[in-house]
Amino acid sequence: MTASVVQLADRKVQVTGASAAGAAVDVLTVRHVAKRFPPNILALEDASLSVRPGEVHCLLGANGAGKSTLLKIMAGAMRPSDGELLLEGRPLKLHSPSEGTAAGISMIYQELDLVPQLTVEQNLFLGHAPTRLGLVDRRTRREKAREALRRIGATFPPETRVERLSVANQQLTAIARSLTTDAKVIIMDEPSAALNEHELKNVFSVIRDLVRQGVSILYVSHRLNEIQEIGDRVTVLRGGRTIDTFDVAGTPEATLVEAVIGQNRSLVERAARRPVTGDVALRVHEMTGPEGLDIRDFELRWGEVIGLSGLNGSGRTTFLKALFGDVPFSGHVELEGRPLKPKSPAEAIRLGLGLVPENRKTEGLILDAPIYRNATLPFLRRSRTVSHRRLKETAEPVLRSLSTKYKSSERAVRELSGGNQQKVVLARWIIDRSRVLLLDEPSRGLDVGAKADLYALVRKLADEGAAVIVASSELEELYAACDAIWVFHEGRNVERFDPSIDNRDTILKASILGGRA
Amino acid sequence: MLASDSGIPAAATPRRSVGSTVFDLLVEYNFIVIFFVVVAVATSLSGNFLTWGNIANLFQQATVVGIAAVGMTFVILTANIDLSVGSMTALSGMVAALMMSKGVDPFLAVLMTLVVTTGFGALMGGISAFAKVPSFIVTLAGLVSFRGLTYLISEGTPISGLPKGFGAFGSTLVPVAPGYELPLMGVIFVAICIVAGLVLRYTVFGEYVYATGGNAEAARLSGLPTRLVVVAVFAASGLMAGIGGLLLTSRLRIGQPTAAQGLELDAIAAVVLGGTSLFGGRGGVLGTFFAVMLLQVLRNIFNLLGLGSFYQMTVTGVIIIAAILLNRLIDYRMGRD
Repeated sequence: MTASVVQLADRKVQVTGASAAGAAVDVLTVRHVAKRFPPNILALEDASLSVRPGEVHCLLGANGAGKSTLLKIMAGAMRPSDGELLLEGRPLKLHSPSEGTAAGISMIYQELDLVPQLTVEQNLFLGHAPTRLGLVDRRTRREKAREALRRIGATFPPETRVERLSVANQQLTAIARSLTTDAKVIIMDEPSAALNEHELKNVFSVIRDLVRQGVSILYVSHRLNEIQEIGDRVTVLRGGRTIDTFDVAGTPEATLVEAVIGQNRSLVERAARRPVTGDVALRVHEMTGPEGLDIRDFELRWGEVIGLSGLNGSGRTTFLKALFGDVPFSGHVELEGRPLKPKSPAEAIRLGLGLVPENRKTEGLILDAPIYRNATLPFLRRSRTVSHRRLKETAEPVLRSLSTKYKSSERAVRELSGGNQQKVVLARWIIDRSRVLLLDEPSRGLDVGAKADLYALVRKLADEGAAVIVASSELEELYAACDAIWVFHEGRNVERFDPSIDNRDTILKASILGGRA
Repeated sequence: MLASDSGIPAAATPRRSVGSTVFDLLVEYNFIVIFFVVVAVATSLSGNFLTWGNIANLFQQATVVGIAAVGMTFVILTANIDLSVGSMTALSGMVAALMMSKGVDPFLAVLMTLVVTTGFGALMGGISAFAKVPSFIVTLAGLVSFRGLTYLISEGTPISGLPKGFGAFGSTLVPVAPGYELPLMGVIFVAICIVAGLVLRYTVFGEYVYATGGNAEAARLSGLPTRLVVVAVFAASGLMAGIGGLLLTSRLRIGQPTAAQGLELDAIAAVVLGGTSLFGGRGGVLGTFFAVMLLQVLRNIFNLLGLGSFYQMTVTGVIIIAAILLNRLIDYRMGRD
């Protein structure tokens, strides 16, 4: 690893030298790139951007704006139908991701492409392990791995198996892997999606460190505040086209938001509303379960939306899954005064509970199945035979009332955007007439507009009498949408806040510290 | 993908032309097109092919594999696999033959045999679903054990001396139109296909089979009894293998311990050739039916041309690969990469 450090140091000298001369060549340039998929889907129309040496360049865009496609093209995983890539001013034709890596473009996907069963060091040098006489040189690999981990300030040893690391440490491992390939540009696709704010701070300091060493970062995110914190410049993509590139420092938030969504649309705002007066729907006297789950005196009324905030691993998901009968618990929970202890999701569903799971694609939807079938899965249990016409007649009005955009309800749900997919999952429980809705990170991967839509829907459902629990790592959203916010910490519900009284920063602090400061 | 995001309303999309709808149907049901192409080629190669006697023969020969393939379709739709159907077919025939040779009433013997094979199927499904063992392993064990059991109860020798009525069953011809007769076996095969197709399309159980195979976790979190669905499809596969075994024994008029070796591979090949995805959630019985008949036509035409089974095996393999590649191409073009 020492060798590559020296190289990087050299490069930095070159870079600073060049920019001093006023002729710094951009590391990676994308010129008018387009991508068409058969039969006639235009995923990317005209995308351009340019990453300077040693900068954090952000890529911002709504779902379906073409970000993923552009990333894949830059990483060599896809070939553009039109346009070209330039690496340090020279045209670059990539035929595979490994060519991209060899050229110095390293991609860190959102679902980190690490092999969980292998150790950190094996993952770091996957595909380019140092060899001697054709055999893996384990000692050199260990040394180089230690060096790479040291540069990112990792505290775990290289012989740890990746599956035993936290998501944040896996993220760091992925970054370290980019360093072992002497990457000039590291592309990070929404690294924050699975990280809590504290972990994210850590990743940011690693990014700042790397930039100082001359590496460029292309940082993809939905979240404006992150971009403002870490970015030098930001390119906005909308509908497959580059809208513009802005200097982060001098650009007001409203300008960026407008560029992303194409019209003036406010971020999720908190509206004044009447206090909840419904009877108690769900009362958790005490509930203990796996992963240190220990919930006490949790109360949810009809018509109420309660938010669950807290760091990752604070027990939000476990709590929701326990209520939904997917995780066993002991204790005393009541639904409308009657004991609630579902042994399976099926039982919880019969009792009127519905869960929108954390991972839409793996837990929520049957991606290749038609939209109406996805929306009517729980509803099916009420009969023995199926009339597809009746299922469609049942599903379509509900999907329409959620303003889901689709061509035909017979199309595969895979073809929908993230926000519309999430509406299909939500429609499932509305069709099933669930009265207690448990939403686990419902806005993950949705753009600003889709998020606002989603929370407006949740509000409407609550106003119609449903009781809703929303778990989210984005406090902003909870703050705007919920009647009350519980902060979870290490499996316990530590503090209840009222967003109409309590300050947002107070709640944020409590989630990090584990209680009211 | 793009359209739904950029907010193009549904009404703005142009109406699809009749031509493109027909094209889509041809793509969707490409196995039927392939089947008739092969039939046309067969007809031009041999004048004996398109005779009613030969067609009746095709149905007679396709039945045992075909019925097993119907059960296999259910299993594969849930993203599982059943390697035991060959052994199960042999076991079924042997159990029935043994009972009848010992003087058990044929009707009762048939009923008990089907209970046994369905039970064994359910047992394998249960082990796979509840102990979370891949069905590949459980049914591989079944393949070995059921064959062993067949040898054990028959002491390795064929069992003869079956009641006349039972033997007649396999050679009965049923008039399907004035002057045209099909073997009863073939009629049973077609009937089973129709029933299975209706079950998949018009029952909640059928929906559950597709949902479990499409995404078991999503199905479970929607309250579907996914493990019971898996048990049920293996029970169905056992039942189908049982029926196939009974028909085979009836046609051979003996219980043959070595019967139906490698049948599971023919059945799997037919299901996959018929467009059912090995990853589950996509496909159906219609494809399986045509694929079974297609493989039978291939075998038949080689026989009519006097080419040996070595040619048959080689060409069959090539055809399977070609058909799968075609389906991958279609998947790719429809964005299901």
